[in-house]
Formats: sequence, C-alpha cells, structure tokens
Amino acid sequence: MKPRKLFYLIGFVCFLCLTTSCQDSTDEIVKDKPDDVKTITITMLAKSSSNPVFLSARAGAEATARDLSDKNKKIDIKIDWRTPEIENAEEQAERILSAVNDGSDAIIVSCSDDSILTGAINKAVDEGVPVMTFDSDAPNSKRFAYYGPNDVEIGERVMTELAALIDEVGKVAVLGGNQKAPNLKKRVQGIRDAAGNYPQIEIVGEFYHAENATDAVATMMKVHEAHPDLVGWAMVGGWPFFSDSLLNQLEPGQLKIVAVDALPVQLPYIEQGIVNVFLGQPTFRLGEISVRTVIDKIYFQKDVEEINEMQLIRVWKDNLGGWSRQLRAWGYDGIPRKYLTM
Amino acid sequence: MSEHKHHSTAPEDRLSFGQKFSYGLGAIVNNLLGGAIGFMSIVLNVGLGMNPALVGTLQAIPRFTDALTDPIMGFISDKTRSRFGRRRPYIFIGAICVGITFAMLWQLPAGRSEIFYFWFFLLGSILFYLFYTVFATPYVALGYELTPDYHERTRLMGVMNFMGQLAYVILPWLYAIMENDRLFANSVQGARRLAIVIGIFVAVVGIMPAIFLRERFASQTDGNGEKSNLLAGFKTNILAFVKGLVITLKQREFLKLCAGTFFLFNGIMLVSAFSSYITIFYVCGGDTDMGAKYMGIFGTINMISTLLAIVVVTWISSKLGKRLTFIIATSFTLFGSLFKWFCYDPMAPWKVLLPAPFIAVGMGGLFTLMGSMIADVCDLDELDTGERREGMFGSIYWWMVKLGMALAFGLSGYLLNITGYHVSMGGAQTSSTFLWMRIFDVTIPVIAASLAIWAVASFKITEERSYEIRQELIARRSKIPVPEATI
Repeated sequence: MKPRKLFYLIGFVCFLCLTTSCQDSTDEIVKDKPDDVKTITITMLAKSSSNPVFLSARAGAEATARDLSDKNKKIDIKIDWRTPEIENAEEQAERILSAVNDGSDAIIVSCSDDSILTGAINKAVDEGVPVMTFDSDAPNSKRFAYYGPNDVEIGERVMTELAALIDEVGKVAVLGGNQKAPNLKKRVQGIRDAAGNYPQIEIVGEFYHAENATDAVATMMKVHEAHPDLVGWAMVGGWPFFSDSLLNQLEPGQLKIVAVDALPVQLPYIEQGIVNVFLGQPTFRLGEISVRTVIDKIYFQKDVEEINEMQLIRVWKDNLGGWSRQLRAWGYDGIPRKYLTM
Repeated sequence: MSEHKHHSTAPEDRLSFGQKFSYGLGAIVNNLLGGAIGFMSIVLNVGLGMNPALVGTLQAIPRFTDALTDPIMGFISDKTRSRFGRRRPYIFIGAICVGITFAMLWQLPAGRSEIFYFWFFLLGSILFYLFYTVFATPYVALGYELTPDYHERTRLMGVMNFMGQLAYVILPWLYAIMENDRLFANSVQGARRLAIVIGIFVAVVGIMPAIFLRERFASQTDGNGEKSNLLAGFKTNILAFVKGLVITLKQREFLKLCAGTFFLFNGIMLVSAFSSYITIFYVCGGDTDMGAKYMGIFGTINMISTLLAIVVVTWISSKLGKRLTFIIATSFTLFGSLFKWFCYDPMAPWKVLLPAPFIAVGMGGLFTLMGSMIADVCDLDELDTGERREGMFGSIYWWMVKLGMALAFGLSGYLLNITGYHVSMGGAQTSSTFLWMRIFDVTIPVIAASLAIWAVASFKITEERSYEIRQELIARRSKIPVPEATI
C-alpha cells in the first residue's frame, strides 16, 4: 500500500474513532445524572399481583418511570410495587399507610373496595402524600386524580356495537357479572340507556353470576335454554371466555357477542368467530398515564385533570394480529405465535 | 464491465487533500444549517407552547421564498465578475451573515404572545434562508468548477459528501442537548445558547472554502467577451435570467440527473415515516421504547454504511464510470427495499436492521455521483452556450431536491391515511393496514429506484465523452490554469 493511501486509511479510522468517542462524550453529558438528583418513589397498589391486567399496568408504570427519568436529569423515579397477591381491600389500606410511613412521595392505587380505602387515602393525603386512583376509583376520597374507564360509556358502546351486528332487531341478553360491583352496575346501566335508541331490540334480561368462567358459562347456557330465539349477548366482562369450554359449545355466527376485555386467553374466541367484538382495555396505560400524571402534579407542579378517561380499543378478527402484538408489548405472556405473525 | 479505456487525472487537474478538505468543511456547514433549524423548531412547540400548525407554517413559508431566491442567486453568482471571483465573496459574506442570523433567530424573548413568536420567527427565518441561499448556492456551484477532470470531480464530491455526513451525526443530538436540564434551565434557554454556538461555528468554518479555494473561472469573461454589469440594466438582467432558466431546464442530460435524484431521494423520503410506523407498531407491537431502540440502531448502521458507501462508490466510479456506478449503487438500494418485505418479522425484530446497509449504498452514492455528473453537464452546457452556469444548475438541482422533499413529507401523511391507520388504535391496527403500510414501504422505493436507474441509464456524458468535451472546450478557449493549492 502506498504511504498516501495508508495515510488516508489511518485518517478514516481516526475519524471513525473520533466520531465514536464524541458520541461517548455526548452520552456522558446527555445521559448522566447530576449529583443532586431527586429520587421520587411512587408506590403502586393494584388489586391483585396475580392478575395479568395489573402486571401489564406495572410494566407501563416502570417503563414510564424509566422514560421520564431519562428525559429529566434531575429526577430518578422508582416504582414501589406493593400490590397484594389476591384482592384484599383491607390489606391495600394497610399497605397505603405503611407506604406513607416509609416515605413514599406519591401513591397510585386501584381500589378493590372504595368504601374501605377512602379512609386510608384521606389519611395519606393528610400526611402530605398525594394519591391518585386508577382502574377503580374512590370518588369520595381526597385523591387528586383518577384514570380509568368511564363505565357508563363502556356499556353504551357495547350496546351500540351489538345493535350494528344484529341490524338493530332481535332479542338480546346482558351478562352482568357481580351484581354488587359498582363499575359493572354502571356498565349495565349504559347498556340499558343505549338500548333505548333501538326500539326493535328487546333485552330479555340482565344475568348476574360469580366472576369466574364456570359460573358465567352455566349462566349463559341457562339463558339459551330459556330463550332459544336469542340473537345476541351484551357482556360487561369477558368471564365466559376465560376458559376454552365454550369453543366447542357455541357455533361461530350462532349468536352475535360483544364483550368487554380482550386478554390473551380470550383471543381464540375472536379467531373462531364466536365473539364478534371485544372492547379491550389498554392496560399498559393504566400504569403509564398514572405515573405521568403524578410527575406532572408533584414535580412539574402542573394543574392536572381530575378525571382522565381511558379509551377502549375495538378488537375484532381484522386486528387480532395487531392486538396480539400490542398485548405482548404490554407485557403479556403466552400469546400464540400464529396470532403474533398475523 | 468497463465502458472504455480510462483516463488518468493530470497532475494539474488534481486537487490537494487540503483543498478537498476545505470544500468539505462547507458541506458540514451547509448540512448543519439545513438540518438544525428543523431539529430545533420543536422548541417552538414544546418550549414556547406554540400551536404545531403554526410551527408547520413557519417551516413551509420560507420554502416558497427559496423557490425564487435559489435560481436568482445562482444567476447572480454566475454573472458576477470581481477580483475575488464569482463564488467566494458570497460564500464569505453569506457564511458570516447566516451564522449571525441563525444565532439571532433563537434569541426569543420570554413571556411574549404566540403571535409575537410567530412573526419574530417568520421574519427571522426568511432572512435566515435568504443568507443561507447567499452562502449555499455559490458554494455548491464552486464545487462544480474546482477541477475540470472527470474523476477528480467524483473524488471531490466524495470528500464533500463524506464530511457533510458529520452534520447528520450531530443533528439528532441537538434536541437532547437543548433539553438537558443539567446544562440549561429549559429548552428555550438551551436553544438560545446552542444557536450561538452553531452560529459561531457556521461563521468561522463556513468561510474556509472562500479563504482556501481558488476559482477556475474567476477572471473569465462571459460569452460575449465583455464584462457584464449586473446593475447595468434591470430589464436586461431579468430577461437574461429567464432565458438562462429556460436553457437550463431544456438541458436534457441535466434533466435526467434531476429525475434520477427526484425519484431515488424522494422515493426513500416518502416512505421513511412508514418504516418507523411499521417498526414500532407492527414489528414491536406498539412498544415505542423497543421501536425507538431499533430505529436508533438502524440509523447508526445507515450512517456507517453511508460513509463506507461514499468511499467505495468514489473508488468504483473511477473504474466503471459514473453512470454505471450509479446504476449499481441504486440497485443495492432497490434490493435493500425489496429485502425489507422479508425483514419485518414480529417474532424477530432485529431483522429490521438487515436492509439498512443495502439501502445506504444508493443514498451514499447519490449525492457523490450527482454532484460530479452535474459538473460534467456544466462543461457540455458551456460547449452549447459558451457560458459557465454552475450557479444556475446547482440552484435548480437543489431547489428540486428541496421541493421534492417537501412534497414527499406532505404526501406521506396522505399515504398513511390511505392505509387505514388510526392513531388511537396504537399497535392494534388491522391486518390490512399493516399490509398496505408494508406494500407502500417496499414498492414505492423499488419503483422509485427503478425509475431513477431508467432516467440515468441514458445519460450521455460518459468518461470518453467528458474528455472529448473538454478537448473541444480547450480548443475553443485557452486552457485555464488550475490555481495552486493555498494550503
């Protein structure tokens, strides 16, 4: 190699090294935290740590904490996960108080029972720890904000979707889950309200049951026997589809079904055409929006909206692949490969 | 594969590395200015709360003034006769003025109304773009005339393009630096300080080509053998400008280069947004963190591949000629675009990185070869018209690039709507939406690259023809001595 070409080659290598080292220096300036960084600890209390919905919400909270910490050099946000293994409002209340004692900067909580948690929330706020609710609210407490679905609107949307599927004519049933759950009662109310817009649709009844697949399926079968001319179901939750038992009991297209939820275990019902539309919750955003709102409130001192409504996502056969990949990105496991590659 | 017997560059036609480096410094400034105003404009929205639609308007309006000022500046520069040359005085003054204007543009006072900021920035940016044109148009034209040699032109453009890429390494960091609360209280203050640093850099580095380079046609008279006076007659100049514009637009070989660039560059630009959407929403299922990570790595691979491609394309061009090299380089981009179809795999997101080096080859070669080929066209034009009109050719070529880019960005939004994309659905778009996104993302660049190859395939100025033209020009005018290197 001629000396001149060798010189150019060395120059080129030096240039690449310089570029790389410049990038490292910039990384140092842009990414490193200063010494006086403020650590903000947000305690997160969902209803149950065995529920994949809340694990997804946790993934959203932690990803957002990382993102905001990266973008704002003077803060380092930590998510302190204190969710009980199974739903227990008393335990949630105790954990709120222990978080206050441990010096938490803010608390986000999905209330298993607002009547039990309102006192604990108020006490935390009185101690100077701001509280925000997500997914399930405690409207009479001193929490500064709530992020979650508008249950009346969800019910209205279920009915509107079903009406379109049955050409606004026929007998339909409402599957209501736990009759005492306040959020489910509001959804059923929304269905009733929307049904008023369709005079040729008859609601044969609102059917309640324990919130598990076995009881939900049994309730459905009883209704089918009693109303053989039923054309559709409006479901405020997707309990019958938490098991695969209905995959063999219902023919695709036999009934039109619209249900809230669209979790991985329920997706085969969409694939086989047994369920026409699921209204899926963007569960990742439960954590994401909550953490953003808390930081806006306590660090940036912004005025935040008290009620921030979650918009549900329509899931049907055409976007089964996209929704499956979205669920995976939100931290859900066990999604069949065939859906992910659709 | 070779088209003909190759010529060697005569020693007097060679440019020293120092001269090439000086010219390359101008490319850093040129690219930095073009990109910085776009990257920093986010401060108007995020830092000052300006309506995004107004920010978009602020970026669009100067493009219209550009359409007029670019060719006028090219014409003025071509017609200028001074003891410092036709290009260097404008480069020198333009670099200083555009540096100062850029620094002033971002000194936005706090606590004013949105409409105040709008007018402040609008008037400032019109002035900025005016000085930017005063600097950039003669700078581009200077590159076309620095050497009369077919191969040396490609080497010069290779160095220019290589060094110009440095700006693209820096640009993505500008917002991160402005937003860094360790350095600045807020992004508005960050923009103020950063603009001063960039302004000083532009003013200091931008004058280097004017100081260290010499023009080949600085003392040459025009075709009539008389020195022309720009202010002698406004009407005469207007007529001459229109006539020059028409002649330029009738130059078939030039139009082939414009078409080749328009198709290839804008075909890639048109779908650049699609690639991000597909990566984030299809491959990564709406995981923006993961999508951004892959887009970042893609960008880095693309940058390194582009730099390597410039070196390789410059070398191959001296063996195969510019036209064939362009066709080969563009074929790599065509292959890379087709390859994307197989690399969008939600089960293996890393595959999105595989097409990056292939796509980069065509883009790396594009502005290296096109600059060199336009210089050849200027020789052919002199043979036809008796005038040296690098300014006119350069300004129209780059105006076409900028216009095409604006069209591509505007059209990409409509294309996205056609696919059925709904922002509220996030990653849960329908299968047909993703299918159409992928179809557009693959077919548009493939068709565009094919059209670019078609347009340039019939380009008539081969190496052989270029040297023939040169001999004819030498026969017509006495050989113009190449200035000695000044560094």
